[in-house]
Amino acid sequence: MSQTNAIEVKNLVKTYGDVYALKNVDLNIADGEYFVLLGPSGGGKTTLLRSIGGFIRPDSGSVDIKGKNVDNLPPDKRPTSMVFQGFALFPHMSVSENIGYGLKIQSIKNNIIENKVSRMMDLVGLTGLSKRKPHELSGGQQQRVQLARALILENDVLLLDEPLSALDAQLRKDMCIELKRLQKTVGISFVHVTHNQEEAMSVADRIAIIADGEMIEQGTPKEIYSNPKKKFTAEFIGEKNIFNGKVIDINKSIILIDIEIDKIEVVNKNYKINKGQDVSLSIKSESIKVDKLKVSKQPQENKAIKGKITEIIFLGQFVRYLVLLNNNQEIQVRSHDEVSNINVNDYVMLSWRLEDFLVHEG
Amino acid sequence: MVIFFVLPLMLTVVWSVFERTMFWMEPAFTLFSYENFFFSSRLENFISSMLHSSISVVCAFFIGFPIAIFIRRRVKKVAQHRVMLLFILPFMVSEIIRIFALRPILSRNGVVNSFLMDLNLIDTPFSVFVFTPTGVVIGEIVSFLPFMIFSTFLALEAIPNYIFEVCSDLGVNRRRMFKDILLPLAAPGLFAGSVFIFVNGIGIALIPTILGGPGSVNAGLIATQAIIALDFPLAMAVSAIMMFTLMGLLYLGHKLFNLTKLLEPIS
Repeated sequence: MSQTNAIEVKNLVKTYGDVYALKNVDLNIADGEYFVLLGPSGGGKTTLLRSIGGFIRPDSGSVDIKGKNVDNLPPDKRPTSMVFQGFALFPHMSVSENIGYGLKIQSIKNNIIENKVSRMMDLVGLTGLSKRKPHELSGGQQQRVQLARALILENDVLLLDEPLSALDAQLRKDMCIELKRLQKTVGISFVHVTHNQEEAMSVADRIAIIADGEMIEQGTPKEIYSNPKKKFTAEFIGEKNIFNGKVIDINKSIILIDIEIDKIEVVNKNYKINKGQDVSLSIKSESIKVDKLKVSKQPQENKAIKGKITEIIFLGQFVRYLVLLNNNQEIQVRSHDEVSNINVNDYVMLSWRLEDFLVHEG
Repeated sequence: MVIFFVLPLMLTVVWSVFERTMFWMEPAFTLFSYENFFFSSRLENFISSMLHSSISVVCAFFIGFPIAIFIRRRVKKVAQHRVMLLFILPFMVSEIIRIFALRPILSRNGVVNSFLMDLNLIDTPFSVFVFTPTGVVIGEIVSFLPFMIFSTFLALEAIPNYIFEVCSDLGVNRRRMFKDILLPLAAPGLFAGSVFIFVNGIGIALIPTILGGPGSVNAGLIATQAIIALDFPLAMAVSAIMMFTLMGLLYLGHKLFNLTKLLEPIS
C-alpha cells in the first residue's frame, strides 16, 4: 500500500429535509486499498459513496480524488466508475456492447474497443459470452458485466454500491473472493458499500462502520472484529454478549466494573475512561468457558459469573449454550466441544480470560 | 384468434366477391367490386389517405415522443401518472364533438388564424387548416397524439432509473442517450403507437368527414359511403384491401426492421 490518498473526504454533510444523511464525515482511502463502508441500511453509507461518485451533491464539505478537488465535477468527469446495486445493465445490448459502451461514447476506434472488451471479459471471467443478452445471464454473470463495464474505463477508483446484495449466499461468498482478487490484479482503490459484515470482512483491507450519518469507527477487519472500540460496532458485527456497567476502579492494568449482577475485572487496554463512567462491555461467545457449578469450588471473585442453562443447541461444528443470568440477561456461549454432563436447567459458572472482555467507550 | 380475427377476415373476403343486389348481396364470384375500387378515384384516395396517415404518424412521433421523454425524465415520479391522466381528459368528450371543435379553431377566421394575425405574423389567414388534407392530418394528430404519448411513456417508464445513472457515470450525452438508449428501449411503444395511429388514420371516417374537404377521403370513409349506397360487396372489398395492405405493411416492416428484435426489450 502506497502512502498517497486516492480519496480524501472532509467534513461531508448531506441533509434530506431535517434528516442528516451525513454528519461531518471524514474519510481517507489509500491508493490501491480495498475499502468497505459497512453499516445498517439507511445509515448514510450509500449517500457517502454517491457523493464520492458525484451522483449526490453534498450540502458542505469536500471530496478530493487523487489530490484533485472534484466537488464541481459530474460523475463522468471524476476519475471514478460505479458498479450499481442490482443488475444495472443495458437490457437491449449484448455483453460486449454493454462493456464497450463507455469507450464507444468516448469515440474510441472500434478495433481498440474490441481488444479491450475481450481482455476485460477474460479478466472478469466472462470469456465466450460476448453475444449474450443480459437476460440470458445469471446474476453473478450480470454483476461481472457491470464490473467489466466500469473497469474498462481505467479510472483511479471503483465504487461498488451493494454489488452482491442481489446474489444468493453461496454465490456472494465466491464473488467476494473474486472481487478481492480482481482488485489486487487491477491495483486501483475499490470502495465497496455493504450491510453484510461477513462480506465486508472477507474483502476489505480496511472497514469503516457508518451509521446514522456518522463515521462510527475505522479499522482493519481484524481490528473491527476482535477489538471493536464502540458498542455499536460490537453489536453490528454480531456480538450477543453485551453488558452495561459502571467503572468502579481503574488502574494501569486492570479495570473493575460493576455490571449490576456482579463486579468483574477486565484488562485495561489504554481505554480513555474514568472512574464512575458508564461503559458497555462485550465478550465473544467463543471466549466464554462453561463449567458445572460445584459446591466445593466457589467462583473466583470478580472473574466469573453464575448462570443457568436454558438451552443447548448442537450446531455441527460447535455447541451453543444459552445461559440465563440473575438479572434475566441471556448470554451465548459457543464451545467447540460439548461440555460433559451439563443439561438444561443446570447451574453453571461462566469464566473467561481477563483480556477477552472488551470495554466500549461509547 | 380464429373467431375474432380469421373468421371475420374470411367472411369479409368471401362477401367482397358476392354479387350486389338491390338491398343486400347474393352468393357469386365476381371481381366487380375490386374493379370498382382499383379503376376509380377510390384507389387514389386510398393511397393518399395512407400517405396522410403516415404524415400523422411521423408528426405524432416528433411531438409525442419528446413529451413522453419529458414526463419520464423531468416530472416527479409521483406526479407522472397524474400528468398522463391529463391526456385522457379529452376522451371524456365525444369524438365527434372533439373533432368538430377543431373547426372554429382552425377555420379562416378561427382562433389560430386570428392569433397569428394579431401577432402580425401573417397578413392573410391560412385557409389550409380545414377542409383540406392538412386539416385531416391536424385532426388525426390532435385525436391520436395521446396514444403515442401513452404507449411511448409506458415503454419509457419500464426503463429502470439505474440506466440513467449508468449513463451519467459513463458520460452519455443527450444525443447518444436518445439514439442508443431511449429510442431502442421505447421501440415497442413507438411501434404500437404508430400502428394504432396509422390504422385509425386510414380507417376512421369521422375525421375526413368533418375536417376534410371534398377531396379528402380515407379508406374508412370509402367503405362508409359504399354502405350508405347499399353496395355491401364494395364495402367488404375496401375492408379486405385495407386489411391486406396493413398485413403487407407489417410484413414489410418485419423484413426491413425485424419486428421481433424491435419488440425484444419487452420480452
